[in-house]
Amino acid sequence: MTGFLIRRLLGIAATLLVICAVTFCIFYLLPSDPATQFCGKDCAPDQIALVRKQMGLDAPLIVQFGHYVLAIFAGRTMGSGQYAVQCNFPCFGYSFQSGRPVWDLMMDRFPTSASLAVGAALLWVFFGLSAGVLSALKKNSWIDRTVMVGTIGAAALPVYFTAMILLYVVVTVLGLIPYPRYIAFSEDPVGWLRNLILPWITLALASAAIYARMTRSSVIETLAEPYVRTARAKGLPERRVVAKHGLRPALTPVVTMLGMDLGSLLAGAMITESLFGLPGVGKLFADSLSKSDQPVVMGITLLASFFIVSSNLVVDLVYAWIDPRARLS
Amino acid sequence: MTRRTHTALAAAIAAALTLGLGACSSNTSSDPGAGDGKGITTEGNGIIGGTPVKGGTLNILSNQDFSQLDPTRNWVEPEMDFGLRTLYRTLTTFKAAPGAEGLQIVPDLATDLGTPSDNAKTWTFHLKDGLKYEDGSPIVADDIKYNVERSFSPELPGGPDYAKQYLNAPKGYAGPLKGERLGKEAIEVPDAKTIIFHLKRPVAEFGYTVTLPTFAPVPIAKETGANYSNHPFSSGPYKIESYDRGKRLVLVRNTNWDPSTDTVRKAYPDKIVVDQTLDRAGIADRLVADQTADQSAIAYTELLPAKVSDVITNPSVKARLVSQSEGCTAFLEMNTSKAPFDNPKLRLAMQYAVDKEQFQSAVGGPALSDIATDNLPPALTDGTPVDHFKIPAAGDTDKAKQLMAEAGYPNGFSTEITVASANRQQAEAIQAGLKRVNVNVVIDPIDASAVNSVQGDKNKQTGLGIAGWCPDYPSAATFLPMIYDGRTVTDTGNQGDKTRFNDPAVNAEFDRIAGLTDVKAANDAYLALDGKIMDESPAVPLSWQKKPLLVGSNIAGAFANSVWSGQLDYAVIGLKSVK
Amino acid sequence: MTAPLSTGLPGGAGAAASDPGDAAPAPDPQAPASPWRLTWDRLRRRRIALVGLGIIAFFVLTAALAPLITAVSGHGPTDTDKKAIDPYLGGLPRGTLGGVSPNHWLGVEPMLGRDVFARLLYGAQISLLVAFSAALMITVIGVVLGITAGYFGGRVDAVISRFMDVMMSFPSLIFMMALLSVVKDVNRVLLLIVVMSLFSWPYIARVIRGQTMSLKHREYVEAARVSGTPSVRILLTEILPNLTGTIIVYVTLAIPGLIGTEAGLTYLGVGVRPPTPSWGQMIADSALYYKVDPMFFVLPSACLFLVVLGFTLLGDALRDALDPKGSRA
Repeated sequence: MTGFLIRRLLGIAATLLVICAVTFCIFYLLPSDPATQFCGKDCAPDQIALVRKQMGLDAPLIVQFGHYVLAIFAGRTMGSGQYAVQCNFPCFGYSFQSGRPVWDLMMDRFPTSASLAVGAALLWVFFGLSAGVLSALKKNSWIDRTVMVGTIGAAALPVYFTAMILLYVVVTVLGLIPYPRYIAFSEDPVGWLRNLILPWITLALASAAIYARMTRSSVIETLAEPYVRTARAKGLPERRVVAKHGLRPALTPVVTMLGMDLGSLLAGAMITESLFGLPGVGKLFADSLSKSDQPVVMGITLLASFFIVSSNLVVDLVYAWIDPRARLS
Repeated sequence: MTRRTHTALAAAIAAALTLGLGACSSNTSSDPGAGDGKGITTEGNGIIGGTPVKGGTLNILSNQDFSQLDPTRNWVEPEMDFGLRTLYRTLTTFKAAPGAEGLQIVPDLATDLGTPSDNAKTWTFHLKDGLKYEDGSPIVADDIKYNVERSFSPELPGGPDYAKQYLNAPKGYAGPLKGERLGKEAIEVPDAKTIIFHLKRPVAEFGYTVTLPTFAPVPIAKETGANYSNHPFSSGPYKIESYDRGKRLVLVRNTNWDPSTDTVRKAYPDKIVVDQTLDRAGIADRLVADQTADQSAIAYTELLPAKVSDVITNPSVKARLVSQSEGCTAFLEMNTSKAPFDNPKLRLAMQYAVDKEQFQSAVGGPALSDIATDNLPPALTDGTPVDHFKIPAAGDTDKAKQLMAEAGYPNGFSTEITVASANRQQAEAIQAGLKRVNVNVVIDPIDASAVNSVQGDKNKQTGLGIAGWCPDYPSAATFLPMIYDGRTVTDTGNQGDKTRFNDPAVNAEFDRIAGLTDVKAANDAYLALDGKIMDESPAVPLSWQKKPLLVGSNIAGAFANSVWSGQLDYAVIGLKSVK
Repeated sequence: MTAPLSTGLPGGAGAAASDPGDAAPAPDPQAPASPWRLTWDRLRRRRIALVGLGIIAFFVLTAALAPLITAVSGHGPTDTDKKAIDPYLGGLPRGTLGGVSPNHWLGVEPMLGRDVFARLLYGAQISLLVAFSAALMITVIGVVLGITAGYFGGRVDAVISRFMDVMMSFPSLIFMMALLSVVKDVNRVLLLIVVMSLFSWPYIARVIRGQTMSLKHREYVEAARVSGTPSVRILLTEILPNLTGTIIVYVTLAIPGLIGTEAGLTYLGVGVRPPTPSWGQMIADSALYYKVDPMFFVLPSACLFLVVLGFTLLGDALRDALDPKGSRA
C-alpha cells in the first residue's frame, strides 16, 4: 500500500512536470513577447529590455523553466530595486494584466468553480444513480423505457440550450429567482444556493443522463454475475442481494468516471461559467487567454492538471475500497 | 472598438449637444410599422429620476477591471469620469449638469480658474482652505506638482501628455520616481497653497487642461510606482474600502472630504460597489429585468448592440435608457504605411466600397447612431454635418470597382482587420460591405485590452482597424492634428495617428494653422484641410454614435455628458429612495 | 467543461493503474462468417438505430449539397439582407418567428440579416467535416498505438501507456483553447481537427490496447506466431479484423463528443473565424437574442442536439449489435 502510494505520487509529480514543461514551451516559445505585454503601451525598446531582464526572460529557456518550477515551491523575488516584490509559496508569478499574484487570483475564483462543480456533481450523482438503479431493477418496464428515452435525449442536450431555456423560463417568465450572480457561501448561504441552482442544473443535466445509463448497464451486468446468482440461490432476500452484492461492484465505473469529471470540473466549467457570468476559474482562464496573460494561463493549466491527476489517485483508492478484488499494485 | 477617448476639454458650443441625430439620417425605413424612425434621446429632460436622496448603495455593473485608476495614467473613458468624480479632485473641473452647462469649468481644488500672466505662458493657481486626503492630512500644492511630474515617468505610461507638451521642463526629464524633481523653470510652489506653471508657449485654455487627472494631488509618501493604480490615495468624496482587481471595487465615504470645499460633487450614495465580473449581455439582462438590488444599479459600459432591441421594444425599459451623443467619429482606419493601403487611390475606393448602413446596424441601428460622412463630427463643423463625397450610405460599388481598377487592383485583394472580440459584428459588417467589391477581409478578433497595443505596433498592425476619436474640446485643433499629424507616429505604442498617415504638406498646414491668431480663419483652414485629408482617405468615417446606458428604476440624477463622451456623470448620481 | 468529451468517449474513463479497458469484454471473435451481414440485420431490427442513421444521413446529405440547396433557396451563408431586418429595432428581423418567409426559409440573423437556413447548412459542413476528420485521425493514431502497445507489451507498452496517461492528465479543453488561440495564420479548420485529435486519441488507444492484449493469447494468434508469421502480418490479418467492431462502436460514440467540443470551442471564440458559419458561433450570437428572437436561438441548438442524438442512437445500437454483452458505458 505504502509502496503503491509512493510510486503513484512520484508518477503524479513526473506527469505534472511534463505538463508544466509543455505549457511552458507553448507560451514562451511563441512570438508574443511577455516583456512587451508587461511593459505596457508606451514602451521604448530599452525599457522592454529592462523589463525582460527583470523578469528573467533573458536567461536560456531551460533556466527560466527551472526558476519557474523552483518558485512554485520556494517563492522568488520578482523585479529588483525599489519596487521589487517577493512572490511567496506557492508562487506562480504575477498576472501581467492586474499585477496580482497568480495564486491569489486563482484562489479568489476557486470557491466559485468548486461550488459549481461539487453542487452539480451531487445533483447528477444523486439523480443519475437513482434513475439508473431503478431502471435496471425494473428492466424493460415502462419506468425503464421512460428513463432510457429521457436520458438519451438529455445527454444530447447542448448546455447552451439548457441554460437559456432555464434563464428564460425561471428568471424572465416566472421571475422565481433573480438573474444569477455569484454570492459567496460565507456571505449569504441562501443567496448562494438560489443563485447557483440554475448553473447546477445546467451542468448536471447531461451528466445525470450519462450516469444513469452507465449505472443501469453496470447494475444489469453485475446482477447477471454468477456470484449474484449464488446469493439468490442461497435464498437471500432480493433486497439484500441487490444492496450487498449488486450495487457495490456496479459502482466502480461510476466512481471512475466521477473522479475524472470532477477533477476536470474543479478548475472551471468554462461554458457554464460564461453562460451564467459566474466569476470562476474557467472564466478567469478564458479572459486571461484572450488577454495573453500568460502567467495566469499557465497557473490555471497546472492547477487543472493537478486536479485531474490527483483525482485519478483518489479514484484508485476509492476503487480499492469499493471492490476489494482490485488490488493496489 | 476601444475608443481612445480623450476628455472633452470644453468650450461651450451649446448647439452641438442637441444635434445628435436626425439631420443626416439617410436611411429611410420603407416599413412604417417598424420602430418609430427616430433616434432615442434621454427622457426626463435629459435627467433620469430627478434629484437623488442621500445614502444607500449604488451598484455599478461592469464587465472589466479599470485599466488604470492612477491619476497620472488615467486617460480613458469612463475611467477618467469615474476617477475624477469619486477619488481625486483636480485644480478645476467640469460642472455636473446635462447639456451645455456641463461644458463649463469651475474651480475644484483651486480657488479660481487660474490666473494667466506673461501672455498666458504662466498660470497661477491658489488652493482652497480645508482640503484633506482620506487620512485627514492636508492637500498641499507640492503634491499636485509631484503628480504632474509623474506624468513624465516612462514607468507610468498611458496618461494625458499635456503636461509633457506644455510645461517648460528640461528635455529628457524622466519623472520623479528616482528622486529627480522639476525645477522652478517648470513648476513653482512658493507655499503650500500656491502652484505656478511655466509653459513653453501660450496656452489660452490651460484652465481646461488642469481638469485632467494629471492635475490631481498624489503625496510622495504614498508613492507605490506602477502599483499606485491599486489604491489611489483619495482626495475626493469616496475612498477605496477594498479593490479586488477584476472582481470588485468598493468605495465608501471619505469622511475627511469637506463638501463645503466642493461645489460639483454631491456624493449622494454612502457606498459604491463596482462588480467587474459580469459580461455585457448579463448586465443588459439584469438591468432590463430590474430586480431587487439591480434597481439601484447602473451600467458601466454601453448597452450591447444586440440588446438594443430588448430595450427599444419595451417602453418602461426605454425610459431608463440614458442616450447621449459621444461627440466622436468612428473610423475604418487603413494602415497607410503598408501595401495595399499605401495607395491613396485604393484608399479612396474604400470610401465607396464600405457599406455604412450595414455598419450602422451593427452599432445599434439609426436609433443610436448616425452615418458619418466626414472626419469631423457635426459638433466641430457648426452643427451641420459635412458630406464630403456625397456617397450613398450603402456605398457605391461601381465607383469603388472603377477606382480599384485605376489603383491597380481590378480583381480585389485580401486584408486583415483587428477588432475587439466583443465588436466582431462591426467587423463582419465591414467584411460584408467590402466583399461586394472582391475585397476579402479576414477578421482577427482579440481582447479589447489588446487592440491598442496590436494596432499601435508597426509590425503587428493589420491593414484595417476600427477605432474612434473624440475631440478634446470643440475645435478641429483637437481632432485633425491629433490623428493625422504623421510626425507623432511611433513604431510601437502608436496612439493618435493610427493610420500612420504622414503627408508633409498636411503637416506643414497644421503648423501654419496653429500659428493663426484669428479663430475664424483657423476654423476655415481646418475645414479646407479636412477636405484634402478626406481626398487622401487615410480612414473611412463610419458613424457618429450615441452612448446607450441603462440604469435601474431606483436611480436618480442620471445624465450623461459629451465631456465624458456620453458617459454618466458620477458626481451627482444616486438613488431615488433608500430602504 | 469536459462533458461533451466524456459523453462521446465512454470507454475513456480510466485511471492510470486500474485499467477498465483491460476488463472490457471483447466482441465475440467466434462470430460466424459474414459478420457485416449479421450486424446489419441486427441493426435493421432496431428502429431506434435507423432513426439515428436517418438523422445522420439527413445532415450529411444537406451539408454535402449545401451549395446546391442554397442556390435554390437564393441566399449564400455570408450574404446580408438589409431589407429583412428593422434597423430601428436594433436590427431585429422583420416578421414573425425571426423573419421566416418564402424568401428566408428559417428567418435571418438579427443585425446583419444573414440567412439562417444557409448558415445552418454551411455550419453543418464545418461541424461534420471537423468531427469526421478528427474521428479519422484519432482512429488511426489510437489504433496504431493501441495495437502496438497491446501486442508487443513489455517496454513498448510501458512507454506508450505512460504517454497515454500523461496525455489524459492534460486538461484537454484548456489545452485546446490555449493551442487554438496561440497558433496564428493557420487554416483554422485544420488546426481544430489536429488540436481536437491530439487530446482525444488516448481514450480509443486504451480500449484497443486492452482488446489486443486479450486477443494476443487466443489460440489462432498463438498458432500464427509459432508458425513464424511476421508480427505485422499477424496484426493486420488476425488482430485488426477482430477489432473492427470495437473500433466502429467507439468511433461512432466519439463523434458526438467531437461535434460538441467543436461547437464549444467556437462558442468560446477560438474556433473557426467569421464569417465562416458554425453552429457554435451561431449559438454564441443567438444567446444574446434569446428573449427577442428565440427562433434564432432554437435552430442551431436544435441542429446540434439532433446530430449528437443521431450519433448516440446509432452508436448505442451498433454496440449492442456488434458486442451483445455490452461494453461499459
